[in-house]
Amino acid sequence: MSTRNELKRKACEAIEKRKNELIAVAKMILENPETGFSEAKTSRLVAREFDLRGIPYRDRLALTGVKGEIKGGRGPGPKVSVIGEMDALLVSEHASADSKTGAAHACGHHAQIGMMLGAITGLQVPEVLSQLSGSIVPFAVPAEEFVQVERRMALRDQQRIEFLSGKQELIRLGEFDDVDMAIMCHTASDMVKSTFVVGGTSNSHVVKYIEFIGKGAHAGGSPHLGINALNAAAWSIMAIHANREVFPESETVRLHGIIGHGGESVSAVPSDVRLEWRVRSATPEAVARNSTKIDQCFKAGALAVGAKVKITTIPGYMPVRNNSSLQGLFKQNAQALVGKDKVVQMPPNRNRGGSTDMGDLSQIIPVCHPYTAGAVGAGHSKDYTITDYEVAVVNPAKIMAMVVIDLLADGAAGAKEVLEGWQPAMTKDQYLAFQRDRAQVVEFDGGEV
Amino acid sequence: MASKEELKRKVRDAIDQRAEEIVRVSKTILDNPETGFREVKTSRLVRDLFAEAGIDHRSGLALTGVKGEIKGGSNGPSVAVIGELDSLIVSEHPHANPETAAAHACGHHAQIGMLMGVAYGLMSPEVLEELSGRVILFAVPAEEYIEIEYRDELRRAGKVEFLGGKPELIRLGEFDDVDLAMMCHTTSVAEEKKLCISGTNNGMVAKRIQFIGRAAHAGGAPHLGVNALNAASLALMAIHTNRETFKDDNTIRVHPIITKGGEAVNAVPADVRMETFVRGANIDAILDANRKVDRALKAGAMAVGAQVKITTIPGYLPLKQNATMMEMYKANAVSLVGEDGIGYRKHGTGSTDMGDVSQIMPVIHPYVGGATGLGHGNDYMVKDYNLAVVTAAKALATTVVDLLADGASGAGEVTSKYRAAMTKDQYLKLMRGLAKEELYDPTE
Repeated sequence: MSTRNELKRKACEAIEKRKNELIAVAKMILENPETGFSEAKTSRLVAREFDLRGIPYRDRLALTGVKGEIKGGRGPGPKVSVIGEMDALLVSEHASADSKTGAAHACGHHAQIGMMLGAITGLQVPEVLSQLSGSIVPFAVPAEEFVQVERRMALRDQQRIEFLSGKQELIRLGEFDDVDMAIMCHTASDMVKSTFVVGGTSNSHVVKYIEFIGKGAHAGGSPHLGINALNAAAWSIMAIHANREVFPESETVRLHGIIGHGGESVSAVPSDVRLEWRVRSATPEAVARNSTKIDQCFKAGALAVGAKVKITTIPGYMPVRNNSSLQGLFKQNAQALVGKDKVVQMPPNRNRGGSTDMGDLSQIIPVCHPYTAGAVGAGHSKDYTITDYEVAVVNPAKIMAMVVIDLLADGAAGAKEVLEGWQPAMTKDQYLAFQRDRAQVVEFDGGEV
Repeated sequence: MASKEELKRKVRDAIDQRAEEIVRVSKTILDNPETGFREVKTSRLVRDLFAEAGIDHRSGLALTGVKGEIKGGSNGPSVAVIGELDSLIVSEHPHANPETAAAHACGHHAQIGMLMGVAYGLMSPEVLEELSGRVILFAVPAEEYIEIEYRDELRRAGKVEFLGGKPELIRLGEFDDVDLAMMCHTTSVAEEKKLCISGTNNGMVAKRIQFIGRAAHAGGAPHLGVNALNAASLALMAIHTNRETFKDDNTIRVHPIITKGGEAVNAVPADVRMETFVRGANIDAILDANRKVDRALKAGAMAVGAQVKITTIPGYLPLKQNATMMEMYKANAVSLVGEDGIGYRKHGTGSTDMGDVSQIMPVIHPYVGGATGLGHGNDYMVKDYNLAVVTAAKALATTVVDLLADGASGAGEVTSKYRAAMTKDQYLKLMRGLAKEELYDPTE
């Protein structure tokens, strides 16, 4: 029987050998960006890669997800998922943006598919796989970026999804029921001198879709007959700003949104103005509290001009709970690969301000969500570019393969250890009940007060 | 029996003879400015002048008003000639009282001069006996709607019910024995020339607003506070977002001030106060704009979770002037300053409580030139007292002759064509209906 280090060496060698292929896959996804729940081409590409590797899979999970399973040679045991996110953002000015849709990989998810395929490339080496217990679940998941709310609400109305993000929906569908733990690795451009960052957490959030309903009128001829929904919206945004001073820094509150519909023609009083908004805070409790405050601002905007407002609150993400054992394994293997001083561990309460649906999964099963270098430019901006694919794709692939070996070799002793120390924050049912409770529609008529 | 023209000549001559005296009265008042319901010295001066001239009078009406009466040779209608006693507060005005900052930046001091001019003109020998009816010489308080907090306290103490002089005098019944009323206000607008024939004016309601938040250390614990100043500033913005819905011909004016904006810069403001008027050309327009302002104020409170207390106080009603009386006045004005000296003003967007009087009886409220600077500004000065006091007195007095001579046929012509917009009782009911006090708590 080989030692774990030998298994890891073999896995890494296999990845190294096929690295150009893995990088080519990532670049192909970069050039074919698709937003959440629309990842048709990306999904097909993943399925083809699974076919080529002889991995059985199910696809079209939560519309576009592809879930494979590779059984270890040592019999049943825990299932470890290696997750790669498929979706792009909308950043039309990005160099690799789709000229028609504006979709662009301005958050590096294309690298994740490369690294996921890389990890299984290493783990599928027969000498490696034969030593593993349990199974590996490579999982290409849709819609991590919580965008295009209007479109996703339409999917929800058509009952094609219930939750508006990929992992949330996959949890609901039971696609994580057979998964014991999950790992993934996200690219980042703010790594300073380190190559990997582990630990820390992310914000919880709710998503809001706000419809101000005014009354159209000729903006020059008879503005007195109109009710200006854009004024209601603009004023609400000012009202939100006026509240910023009441948010303690410890809650890392982020309130931001866009105006999706701001009026139809400049010569008409806007009567239909719609916003997408985001309320992020460190804890779900703070999100709930701040969400109420923000609702008051939107209602007050309606009241200010006598408009109506409909506020749809959509369950958003939970803070990431990084499992310390999984994180420890990731850190050790990263240090072994790139050197001790290149791996930074953040304290558990260090909050990056953003949010991920990996946070939702982390409430139910052990996960770790580390970051790798290789990107430059501000995340979610036109400048965000993967410049070093070795760092962004190949290194994380090797580390994740090694983490899986640590988990599933030796009769899955590592995975069992993770599970022994594990306390879920909530069960799947509790999670679903909690999220469904956050879904709310409030209607308010500012003309009636 | 003397002809109207002869009477008018005598009246004008008599006024000319006392021109210096009545200008001196105006200048004395200019140097002793007092704000509304506090016109103690000005009131005393009028009483002394009335006593000296042998005019029967009552004083202390609506606190400081003085109402004199001179009787014609026979019975008939009564015509009030009104002069306003009060000043504004403009601390930078050259004639401001250094202690109170009161200043005659609206020319009311000229009105008391003209009131005395009218009295002297009509009391000249052989004139009064030719008139049928009575002339009420009415020095009235508090036309400028200011010091709302002070006056509201007077109201709460039961000393006044309404915050303007004429509404209060109407309530007290002091206009019950008046059939027609006139006055003349100074103007500094060059285009309005020497004597100006004017039209309508905006009416208004006044508001006291208090945003109630929660104080907290603004640096240490702003999250524990509720910022009443943010509520107020948002409310101001909310009012602005409604401006596009105000119709041009309603000439809405909403112009708030913050009278208390916080106590210490390092504390979250918990008590912020504002005052505003809501003006408009007609009562419906005022009520519509007032409803929008209330909504905007509540929105400000709702946005930050503060409370807002809104006190709406009846202000002034829109002014409508009697066309028949104005024709008489205009003819007299032309004979004084010529056609070239006549200016016109169609609609004024300020407000006057002469508007209230105009709802229940025929009135005119023309303007006289002679002033420079911006009305209510620190540079508003009456420069040509001969025009602003003496000529205006002649125009008013000769119009009284038109109304009350020949058995008051002129007044008869006015009243026969006139239909009041409302009775005194209807007026009081409307005004009382405008008064409202509301505490809005968005958390309830």
